[in-house]
Amino acid sequence: MKRGFIGAAILSVLLIIIGLITSYFGSRYQIRLVYSTYVNLLVVLGLQVFMGNARITNLSHSAFMGIGAYAAAICVTPQNIKALSLPNAPWGLNAFSIDPISSALIAIAITGAVAFLVGLLIVRLSGIGATIVSLAFLVIIHTLFLYRTDIFKGNQAFFGIPQVFNLTFVVILAAIIVFAVRIFRESKVGIALRASADDEIGALSMGVNMYRLRLIAWVFSGMLLAVAGIAYAYFLGTISARPFYFNHVFLTLAMLIFGGMGTITGAVLGTFLISLGLEMVRWLETGPNVLGIDLPEVLGLSGIALGAVIVFTMALRPRGIMGETEIEDLVLKN
Amino acid sequence: MLKVENLNVFHGLIEAVHGISLMVPVGQCVSLLGPNGAGKTSTISAITGVAKSTGSISFEDKILTGLSTEDRIKAGISLSPEGRRVFANLTVEENLVLGGGLKPVGRTERIESWYETFPILGERKNQSAGTLSGGEQQMLAIARALMNEPKILLLDEPSLGLAPKIVSQIFGIIQTLKKEKRTILLVEQNATQALRLSDYAYFLNNGHIVAEGHPNDLGGREDLMAELTGIV
Amino acid sequence: MEYVVQQIMNAFAFGAEYALLALGLAIVFSIMGLVNFAHGEMIAVGGYTMVAAAALTLQNPLIIIGAAIAVAMVASVTLERVAFRPVRYADPTTGLLTAFGVSIILQNIFLLVVSPRPIAVTSLYFLEWSLDLGGISVSSLQLFEAITTLVVIMLLMLFLKRTLLGLAMRAASLDFEMVRLSGVRANRVFAIAFMISGLLAGIACVFIMARRGAVDPHLGFDPVLKAFVACVVGGFGSLPGAVLGGFLLGAVEVAMLVMLPQSLGGMTDAFVFGIIALLLVWRPDGILSPPTEKGDKH
Repeated sequence: MKRGFIGAAILSVLLIIIGLITSYFGSRYQIRLVYSTYVNLLVVLGLQVFMGNARITNLSHSAFMGIGAYAAAICVTPQNIKALSLPNAPWGLNAFSIDPISSALIAIAITGAVAFLVGLLIVRLSGIGATIVSLAFLVIIHTLFLYRTDIFKGNQAFFGIPQVFNLTFVVILAAIIVFAVRIFRESKVGIALRASADDEIGALSMGVNMYRLRLIAWVFSGMLLAVAGIAYAYFLGTISARPFYFNHVFLTLAMLIFGGMGTITGAVLGTFLISLGLEMVRWLETGPNVLGIDLPEVLGLSGIALGAVIVFTMALRPRGIMGETEIEDLVLKN
Repeated sequence: MLKVENLNVFHGLIEAVHGISLMVPVGQCVSLLGPNGAGKTSTISAITGVAKSTGSISFEDKILTGLSTEDRIKAGISLSPEGRRVFANLTVEENLVLGGGLKPVGRTERIESWYETFPILGERKNQSAGTLSGGEQQMLAIARALMNEPKILLLDEPSLGLAPKIVSQIFGIIQTLKKEKRTILLVEQNATQALRLSDYAYFLNNGHIVAEGHPNDLGGREDLMAELTGIV
Repeated sequence: MEYVVQQIMNAFAFGAEYALLALGLAIVFSIMGLVNFAHGEMIAVGGYTMVAAAALTLQNPLIIIGAAIAVAMVASVTLERVAFRPVRYADPTTGLLTAFGVSIILQNIFLLVVSPRPIAVTSLYFLEWSLDLGGISVSSLQLFEAITTLVVIMLLMLFLKRTLLGLAMRAASLDFEMVRLSGVRANRVFAIAFMISGLLAGIACVFIMARRGAVDPHLGFDPVLKAFVACVVGGFGSLPGAVLGGFLLGAVEVAMLVMLPQSLGGMTDAFVFGIIALLLVWRPDGILSPPTEKGDKH
């Protein structure tokens, strides 16, 4: 556990430094970029809590992020704006508005509750079964967002969310969550989960209540994802159904897998490497002028690059770059 | 016919068998005996190519190292595995058809002759193999293994988990196979019965060969028998 | 009366297509535990082949259909050889993620190499016309689709029961290693599975293209999603389950289309998935999921 604190501390310091540099020297565009990287980091950390410990692939994480984002957005957006954007909202959803902090807490609670209900179903299933149901859940939630336009506005922008977050907030949030996730990993629950992940029958026969443990990790994960969604909404000011679907699932999954889903260091590393790499590829996509040569527009390159990252990681190094090594293992002697 | 030299078998990073050598001459029944966990099935897995191993395995003077499992089967090796592993979702007849996949010519006749040898299989030929009793499954596994008319039969723990009466039945079947001059490598925990059938036997313990020889010589080794069969 | 018959035909046709798509997924999954998300891209490949074939052969429909199916099969087998072989014996999750990755790569290759915009394929429009069956007008395309699917299912059943490779495929779903130990080549079993999967994708492609008339890079996404849901409902890995799931999905979808008032029209998908969700709560492993015990490989 002590090593866990050290590792989390090292990561937090790194995150804060990156945040500070960007804050002071970054252009508006770069600040936005780094902000979204940190939001993705929150998602990836939330994902790691479940996937890294229970060793089951979860494909519904973007849906939970969306639930958190929408719940907070509906609560916090001022009434006069909601009257415009959600004229047909049922149950008086457009007739109130709450302060950002309470909205956030309500959103986290709602997401946690949903996670609990879904979790009851999912934790009893086998690995691939759980993954499949999580995917079904993603589709269901997305369809809900898309078609209950009276509440969610579908693919149209849900605007008017007070932009109360900035880079500093999200960096601090990330640092706190790094600690939280790391502590979870080294806690009794985390260790028991990882031990039983490989040998379900063995664990069950030793009295480990694996289903309860999985449920704890699942709900914790869901709540962290809600936080990520809230951070997303509170910065951007507008949200829509599109970002909480397959592309985002895939992107964040790639980040976690590439870095290594077993460790928090892997989550952080993967997020930053892929965010960086993606930006470079996107730059290439636009057909920039390099050393006097006008490169052609190559739309779709980023998709190919991302897909290739997943395919090659799975084929060559399924445990990701970090494998099971946390950052303090690299820095400390023993 | 089958010659194993200096075989080390690995399960992941763990070495289960340490440098053993054995030989199965044509037309003989050779036993590989030993308690649970001795490395008997590991040896079989190495011969079939399922487990990683070092050392040399040659069959009819052909080196097997580097050959895929399917190629080794094609070369004339066949396995009735530990736990029988019949294709549970296929019928008895489908099991035999699949077992004889390499020799489609005359397959129907061979299946019919197996129904004569094992009438119970004939009765249940359209039944799902998963619904057969343990003894019936063992008969099916042996018949299935012999459908391809292999040159050597690897028989892994045929008596495992079977009632004594059925065990006798199975050993009777093996006796018949022996009379037909088939080459057999028999792996068994039930040393007493196996020794009665064998022309030669190897005792395996903790991955080493601790004794080998003709059954007459070994039967008298009471210390060995006690250690390996638990019967003093 | 006419309305009822038409809606039943609708349900049957929808269901047939979903069953076809679901079977394509289920065949591969039952043998190697791989959820082949790239299955949708096999349909898109077929679509793009049609474009090429139409351009090259002056719109001969037989060639266009044949080419689409053939290329889908070849692409499918190639995919197995190139992309899925390294993860062949890995756990199902690794395979699923690899398939995801392959799917994204292919979609973007279409975008990059061909065009991000839809390309029209009109040569198959002739397949659709209005038939008069005993006073009731019915879509010919739906009839073709329903009949073709039934024929395909029967042929598949024959293949699985009567041919050696078919038996091997069925056995492999429970104990692949033993199938190899009986002398059947693993490569051959996988290749055949993917080839059949490609064939099913190609046939589905014909009907999808006849209806839509255009192909775009993301054509495969929706079908594979429907196929996926159908498999989940029927029990992932079970072939009869895939068929059942497909027809059930079609029936529910048409029922929703019929029963929902006009104002909620766009919500069909939401309701369909809602019902699916309820089904899953009742039967989390799907209705006909294959029997597995904890000790089994999958």
